[in-house]
Amino acid sequence: MKRSKFSVKPDGLFRQNIVLMSGLLTAPVIAACTTAENALVLVLSFFMISYTGILICRFIPRKIAYSIRILLYAIVAGAMFIPTKLVLDMLFPQMEQGVLLYVELLVVNSLLLAKTETRFYLKPYGEMAVDALLYVVGYALAAFTVGFIREMLAFGTLFGHRLFDPVVPSAKSPFFGFIMVGILAALCRAIVGKNTAPKTARFLDPNEEE
Amino acid sequence: MGEIFARMITFAMVSIFTENAIFDRAFGANVAIYASRKDEHVIGFTVGITAMTTLASIASYFLDRLVLPLEYGELFMPLIYLGIIGVLYIGGLLLLWKFFHSTFKKIKNFVHLAIFNCAVIGALFLNASFGSDLAGYIGYGFGTGIGFFLASFFLNIAHERLDSEKIPKVFRGYPIMLIYIGIVSLAFNVLVGYTAKF
Repeated sequence: MKRSKFSVKPDGLFRQNIVLMSGLLTAPVIAACTTAENALVLVLSFFMISYTGILICRFIPRKIAYSIRILLYAIVAGAMFIPTKLVLDMLFPQMEQGVLLYVELLVVNSLLLAKTETRFYLKPYGEMAVDALLYVVGYALAAFTVGFIREMLAFGTLFGHRLFDPVVPSAKSPFFGFIMVGILAALCRAIVGKNTAPKTARFLDPNEEE
Repeated sequence: MGEIFARMITFAMVSIFTENAIFDRAFGANVAIYASRKDEHVIGFTVGITAMTTLASIASYFLDRLVLPLEYGELFMPLIYLGIIGVLYIGGLLLLWKFFHSTFKKIKNFVHLAIFNCAVIGALFLNASFGSDLAGYIGYGFGTGIGFFLASFFLNIAHERLDSEKIPKVFRGYPIMLIYIGIVSLAFNVLVGYTAKF
């Protein structure tokens, strides 16, 4: 059978959502997505660092040893942090220092360091670009869901606009983030009908191809 | 000398208990979940992360003092930390390749997971924000690795039960692991009577 020229599965949105399904990138969402604005900061940063990183790193020759390629991917992400930080300073001058820490940590995110080798770089460039973008959109869906819910529960606001009195002030704590992301992950799994539990964090195995 | 050692221990204790990388800040939570599946992974990842956070903390102490005071110094910190980690990573791989070739072959495809993760680079950023002395840097870096071991160990001992038939299918594996970490994280917060900003 002839393979269609352009085929991208929307796995990154839900089925392989990097926060809720495969757990590739949990720390910023669990710890720093306490408000919708923080979620926006993280999504924008993730797009600038990871997505552009994936597009650029595609040009790193695959004949370079795997161990060295990983280091080069991280260095490209580190370089992308510079324009990202300048844009964030411009758009969010009041950004909290704690959120910035998680933006800095995005230079070692597993989407760039692991998923590239097992998925993205096995596809033609155009398909890869769309596929990676869908993963970023999936990340945004998870981050905003967590940010919206936690801001409403912890502060009774949405994007800083007061809605009601805070219901669960501890919703801004990391432990609440863990529990909430865990529940959302189960919910997401139930919705996409992926009831058979995958091996925990199998995504990190570099030898495992999809 | 005793005072320096005491300071080192204090910072190590802080990073193991009150500011545990995983329970308090979720640094490297996904790596801990991955490592917790097998006993040997817990040990291997702990050795890799502890060696890296301790050695990288020493190097970052000197570079922080050089670069952070510059006007745009903080823009380059991720690159600088990646440079430190990269040099140690390549140096470590070369040593393994030269003297422990079978170990090198066994771990070469996984070793980067223990090196390039939030727990390692996060320890360097936190050290910089505390602005401590060299003993504090070393203590905090070493403690981060031990804190990772503590978290992985807690996950390791619960892994079998959390993956069992008793857990509803949609929760089994990753979701229940996160909920479990959340509950342990809550216990840690209560234990130390402390709440982190993030």
